[in-house]
Amino acid sequence: MKWHERIGQQLFEPERDQSPGELIFFKCFELFVLVWAISYAWDWGIYSQLRNVEVVLPLGMANYIDVSLFFDHNLALINAALITVLALFSFFRAGPKWLYMVVLVLFHMQYVIRYSQGEIPHSQNLIGMSVLCFAIGAWFFPGKKEMPRFVMGSIIFFIGLGYTSAFFAKLIGTGINWYDGRHLWLWISEKSIDILSREGVYNPNFLQQMALGSTAVASVILLIGWFTELIGFTMWWKKLRPYTTTLIIGMHFGITLTMNIRFDAFVMQLILVGYPWYRLIDRYIESAPVLIKRWV
Amino acid sequence: MNLPESRRRMKIIGITLLIYAMLVASHEGEFWPFSIYPMFSQAGNPWTRAMVMDVTDLPDEEIWLNQPLESKAGTPVALREIGVDQIDYSNFISKTENWTDSRRDAVRTMFGPENIGEARWMAAKVHGRMIGEDSVAVQIQPFLLVTADSVYMNPLLDESDYFLEENP
Repeated sequence: MKWHERIGQQLFEPERDQSPGELIFFKCFELFVLVWAISYAWDWGIYSQLRNVEVVLPLGMANYIDVSLFFDHNLALINAALITVLALFSFFRAGPKWLYMVVLVLFHMQYVIRYSQGEIPHSQNLIGMSVLCFAIGAWFFPGKKEMPRFVMGSIIFFIGLGYTSAFFAKLIGTGINWYDGRHLWLWISEKSIDILSREGVYNPNFLQQMALGSTAVASVILLIGWFTELIGFTMWWKKLRPYTTTLIIGMHFGITLTMNIRFDAFVMQLILVGYPWYRLIDRYIESAPVLIKRWV
Repeated sequence: MNLPESRRRMKIIGITLLIYAMLVASHEGEFWPFSIYPMFSQAGNPWTRAMVMDVTDLPDEEIWLNQPLESKAGTPVALREIGVDQIDYSNFISKTENWTDSRRDAVRTMFGPENIGEARWMAAKVHGRMIGEDSVAVQIQPFLLVTADSVYMNPLLDESDYFLEENP
């Protein structure tokens, strides 16, 4: 067996039989992703309609389409409505297999319309990647046996890849001294301005005070986070997955405490995909409801 | 489900990964939701953010002067209270290279004249950098004075601080 086949075995577990718990969890997870996607679509649409005036930084398709057209005439809101309707059709498996892909394209457009103002946030990337995996799964692996296994396996693959990629981006961007605690001082001071600007006041918390008081403490905080990113890819192995996920969730709490950056959807999604919740459901449920079977 | 099916899945993931790599490589690392996740990858560099100060009660001769964060004059305006995303605002101020009339007016529109009312708000850049081996200096640089109906540039700054191109 080749190395990529071994990874495939770990991600998709082809020998494992499908259980009612897996079906129920999968549909609940899909609902979670779509609720966030629809919520983002409306948030971005409303903000773009109210606040966006000019394109400062074109991202993605905005390099080829003038997205400032969407700032007026409620077009961003119409796009949010389209995403909502098509996402619901996709959730109930009504319509063609490629419908999810249309949702993804519209969702991408909504992101580049909203974030044309200079900032490139990443906190919504996991939801975006999940919609992508649902789109590929629905198109190429339809059916209640194939789709859940592909979607969950591919999401885990891309999450692990993303964290390890972030490790190397830092190694290439700065070098091996990236973990120097003084770098954290600069980021804490930078983020403190964002908080001051948002709230009108800023007071450092306990962890920030500790980091600002000692280069060694700040360096250890960075080193732990950086190491956690490096081992992100170990999520691909099912036995290691819960442990790696726990470390990554801890890292996100650390980032929230030191840099005031919240990752609500990120952390919730990690909690959902990082642990074998289907086993817990299987303990209490013997068969999946008919509607769940129909909609998977 | 069997091994060949698992192989087909890895093949589809491989193709997706190839498209992922091509898109991020040709779009400076970002093609949402694809990304190389470059956040915080360049450590130790000086940074520039932005904030808004209410300078209504400050004398005119003071409002344009640079000041350290610790002894700032004026009161910070909480952008959340006026419905503006502070990250967007910060990027708009720090990344705009040519402050044309429409760009300057866009700041006024972003704040909302109804929120400004009779006040004078200073859109300020905030610069941070390491000083020596063990401290960070944060300096506030007044940039645009915004009222309900006008926007003024800082007369103490050079034109090149507002216009990258020769003919704005």
